Amino acid sequence: MTALSSTPTLTTARLTLRAPQAADWPHFLAFALSDRSSFVRAPDIDEGKAWRGFGHVIGMWVLRGYGQFVFHLTGQDRPLGMCGPWHPVDWPEAEIGWSVWDEGCEGQGIAQEAARAARDHALGTLGWPTAVSYIDPENHRSIRLAERLGARPDHAAAHPFADEPCLVYRHPRGAP
Amino acid sequence: MTRLDTPRLVLRHPEPGDWPAYFAYCASARSPLGVDCPEGKAWTNFAAFFGHWHLRGFGRFVLTRRDTGAAIGHAGPFRPAGHPEREITWTIWDPACEGQGYAFEAAVATRDHAFRDLGWPTAVSYIDPANTRSQRLAARLGAVIDPAARPPADFPAEVWRHRRAA
Repeated sequence: MTALSSTPTLTTARLTLRAPQAADWPHFLAFALSDRSSFVRAPDIDEGKAWRGFGHVIGMWVLRGYGQFVFHLTGQDRPLGMCGPWHPVDWPEAEIGWSVWDEGCEGQGIAQEAARAARDHALGTLGWPTAVSYIDPENHRSIRLAERLGARPDHAAAHPFADEPCLVYRHPRGAP
Repeated sequence: MTRLDTPRLVLRHPEPGDWPAYFAYCASARSPLGVDCPEGKAWTNFAAFFGHWHLRGFGRFVLTRRDTGAAIGHAGPFRPAGHPEREITWTIWDPACEGQGYAFEAAVATRDHAFRDLGWPTAVSYIDPANTRSQRLAARLGAVIDPAARPPADFPAEVWRHRRAA
């Protein structure tokens, strides 16, 4: 296996956030092919597109030096989702993204705990001057999470999805 | 990091600095993505090169010329999820470097690498029936069309099956 080199690991009260690994692939694929990912992927998703998508997640770490972390309960291997810095080449600015792969861990504040750690990493360690999260207006769960993190809609900000509806939530500097 | 050496090329892992040359290729008429290729789509494909290496432990190499150092294409072992078999691919990015045998040189080296170092029992190349240049290269490599093999669902290609080098 070709390992990503010198990637950070973040820890929170319950979680460990680390760079993606090959063993995460089946979990990512199951999420990508499920209805749960409908807000964050193309409608014509298939195994090949999901593979490229996960390759993108890994390649981001190589190309940008940062990327989305996969998170799991500390002491357990099962990946629950991913979150963190995300900046494809044609996006107007850098994002904090999140997706919860495992439905069973919803409603426990897990995603919030992970996203907060990843957001603070971007604004702190990486020194980003600002960060947004792009959210589908129908994705109410994600909107609630953004608001709990202290992010607020920035109606003046551009988003990468052309004519599709998209809310831009801008994160505050420092913990809210 | 695996590196393959041929008489005129060094085949090395992709590097972030290859992006401008790769994108120039993607946005050219010679690429399946075509001149209207969105930058984001090329970026995703480029990022996935690194992902493939990370996930599989092998992947496609970037061809760099010994004489100029320029990155001129990619070639080698490719096995994305959803494809029926393990494949050897080759692509020249720089049109000025076509017709000089670079793709052949890289294809031989990476095919032999797949059989010798990766222990592949067999390998194919999926080639568009209209891509006569690639068909000629496959034939020069000793590959033959395998009518019983099926192509990827999203690519109605002919399946050329490789033979181990003598």
